Amino acid sequence: MFCYQCEQTYRSDVESGCASAKGMCGKDAATADLQDILKHVCEGVGQYLRRARALGATDAEADRFILFAFFTTLTNVNFHAAKFVELIQQAAQFRDRAKALYETSARAAGASPETLAGPAAFVPASDMNGLLAQAGDAAVRKDAARVGDDVVGLRALVLYGLKGVCAYAHHARVLGEERDAIYAAIEHALDLLASAPTDITLLLDEALALGHANFLAMEALDAANTGSFGTPGPTSVRVTPVKGKAILVSGHDMKDLHAILEATKDKGINVYTHGELLPAHSYPAFAAYPHLAGNYGGAWQDQQKDFAEFPGAIVMTSNCLIEPHPRYRGRIFTAGPVGWAGVRHISDEDFSIVAQAALALPGFAADAEDKRITIGFGRAAVLSVADKVIEAVKSGDIRHFFMIGGCDGAATGRNYYSDFAEATPDDTVILTLGCGKYRFNMHDFGMVAGLPRLLDMGQCNDAYSALVVATKLAEAFGVGVNELPLSLVVSWFEQKAAAVLLTLLALGVRNVRLGPTLPAFLTPALVDVLVEKFGVLPVGDAKADMAASLARAA
Amino acid sequence: MYKVELLTRDGASIAFDAAPSETLLDAAERANIFLPSSCREGGCGACRVTIVAGETILDAHSVSALSEAERAKGDILLCRAHAQGDLSLSAPFDRASIGFAPIPVRRARIVAMTPAGSSAMRLALKYEDDPQFGSAAQFVAGQFVELEIPGTDARRCYSLANAPNWDGQLEFLVRLQPNGAFSTWLTARAAIGDSLIVHGPMGQFTLDEASARPRIFVAGGTGLAPVLSMLRQMTEFADARPCRLIFGVGRAQELFAQDALAELAASLPQLAITLCVWKPEGSWHEFVGTPAEALAVELGKVDAPPDIYVCGPPALIEAAEAVARAAGVSADRIFAERFTVASVAT
Repeated sequence: MFCYQCEQTYRSDVESGCASAKGMCGKDAATADLQDILKHVCEGVGQYLRRARALGATDAEADRFILFAFFTTLTNVNFHAAKFVELIQQAAQFRDRAKALYETSARAAGASPETLAGPAAFVPASDMNGLLAQAGDAAVRKDAARVGDDVVGLRALVLYGLKGVCAYAHHARVLGEERDAIYAAIEHALDLLASAPTDITLLLDEALALGHANFLAMEALDAANTGSFGTPGPTSVRVTPVKGKAILVSGHDMKDLHAILEATKDKGINVYTHGELLPAHSYPAFAAYPHLAGNYGGAWQDQQKDFAEFPGAIVMTSNCLIEPHPRYRGRIFTAGPVGWAGVRHISDEDFSIVAQAALALPGFAADAEDKRITIGFGRAAVLSVADKVIEAVKSGDIRHFFMIGGCDGAATGRNYYSDFAEATPDDTVILTLGCGKYRFNMHDFGMVAGLPRLLDMGQCNDAYSALVVATKLAEAFGVGVNELPLSLVVSWFEQKAAAVLLTLLALGVRNVRLGPTLPAFLTPALVDVLVEKFGVLPVGDAKADMAASLARAA
Repeated sequence: MYKVELLTRDGASIAFDAAPSETLLDAAERANIFLPSSCREGGCGACRVTIVAGETILDAHSVSALSEAERAKGDILLCRAHAQGDLSLSAPFDRASIGFAPIPVRRARIVAMTPAGSSAMRLALKYEDDPQFGSAAQFVAGQFVELEIPGTDARRCYSLANAPNWDGQLEFLVRLQPNGAFSTWLTARAAIGDSLIVHGPMGQFTLDEASARPRIFVAGGTGLAPVLSMLRQMTEFADARPCRLIFGVGRAQELFAQDALAELAASLPQLAITLCVWKPEGSWHEFVGTPAEALAVELGKVDAPPDIYVCGPPALIEAAEAVARAAGVSADRIFAERFTVASVAT
């Protein structure tokens, strides 16, 4: 195996990347190799789909499959090697279909179809041993010696950004929002990657194109969420358990959460959100369920302890899954793209077995002390008080905005984000999103200019909401986003965050502080490009960085 | 009191204090650290670790659990060893195998008792609802529990034969031992509705789910129980990998669970079953010999290296391990659970 797609990948002075029998995330070598092959076959699907689309023919089912297939390969999503053998066969079938579509369309247009090489011509073996023997053909670094680490690293940036786009587009798709432009961008990127590109400019342009596609994906997901569940508004959420039977829902998938709430209606079961599902509470459709009892536990990296102590059933709807410990392996369920060998998977959105499990499990014996946090400051909530905000900025009551968001993780360097948040001056506002907020969202930051100083905007994809707010404020002040008294302090862990970063770069948002470490796949030369061309700043010392941010604004 | 540091296979460091008067297993449990173990009487070898530094005194144990040669290279059994100074230990198991909460102690009622062949009994229990554990039967297929013999402090280990479930059902295959304490209670006194205390689940004899290899299950007598649990679990997960069950008894009339095997054959289409009798009488048309001998025949035919799961008496385990090793199966692909003296002695 070789994998360096996430932030926690193995790092040493000599080389970085997980290359032993098991990655830092718990993914074994066979699963990692099979994921590479799935990616490879999907590139072949993209080669044909892109050409078919140019001729006016599309295959939405194949596009949807690609979203799902790539989502399974994100960090901490699917660890089930046998599932990938199945997905690879399906991908090959979609590729054959895409090939037929392209060739028929070409002939119909009076052209003779191209004979495609590379992933388009790759024939995957039918069983696991055969596939593992082919892993070298699909490896991320297969031609590194020839093309160099800069090219490989930039291809990786494109690939991992693409994975993030697919994940967000999948979330939107399951709620009925799709965009042709997103599918076109995905096919374009797959086709480019299939050509083993070596042109740095071309790859950089593709990364930015994916950044734009990801903006569309986040917009589609915003439309899907608000269209399905209403507009989020400030909401007080209980963060301690109440007495009774219990289900904990983790991941990001609001549709699954909704199905679980429906399946447990009037059954005497309380449903709790975990991690990135916290923002669900702020949507009217979810707030209407009396048995959506609260939020439980910390960010994903604490799940082995949090889940072991949770006295009910647990559902993981998307990333981030860690190896389920024996203490809860029997009562955790996976859904959607998630998988772990030996853990029950729900593939048909029928969560009745989860309700059955919850009723058989003890639940919470007593109410804990009632503690609450306030969330739900999405774009609508913030823009509804835009006049007040603008006035407070003009009068100097609000000096600066810090957008501190992204993923959390176990690395000790991530204290940076809580140190940063807690050291922000009283006349500043903190906007947050993603699960990185769990490092500081129970902290009482008080108020400024009649507003809470900490405004929780939602899930990582609500970066869209943050960008809308920033754009509107910039319009109101008659300046560009980069001239606003706003600093972005971003923590990344996996590929959704990589996609969000590409969006920020594509939209020309500068001075993004990125940490806790820079991606291992970015070579020093590529980091220089990000720093010089896009103003990306690696995080340093929290207090010094904050002083620098405030000085820039002054 | 001495300091004990145990390093797991995956590099986690576990520390606890131990007095010379207590076993290392008991000392760890005082600290709410539940290290892998099974018989707790020096009979099974489940708690074997290696001394890196320090000295222990070992109580009597079975050489099948810890041979002289293993002992000479520093291996000990946690259930038999007493610290004689600070200790540094190296364990062959991962941190995930260690429990950090007490083993559940629950009540269950007898819901069925039916003969299983001429020398075993199928026993079905149902957990009572419990404020701490609810009513679910949560365990990993292949694990066992200890059943307390009512009216005594004595406990006996039995593997669960059913799959984990939310209805609280526990199913066991109990070999009827002449004069065995549990057997005597079960045949002479037990009645439907009787309540028993159940300690568990425990045990490390579980499926290696991460492995993609075909599986061969080798079961002798009531050693079929954990294997049935695993096969039923595979059915529930629609696990499509090739698998074979080799199940043997002494005489044909001792065969049992044929209805359960027929159900499995229907629900796991890829499952092949070899029935073995090594002392056939009259007309026996299937394999004649021990399950280990049947395993040798099977290993001569396979084209992909399998994972082998063996459960039964120690002699069967040893014979099956020897057969598997001779066929080139590496030791870490052979998973075994001994049915030992722990379930029959005293």
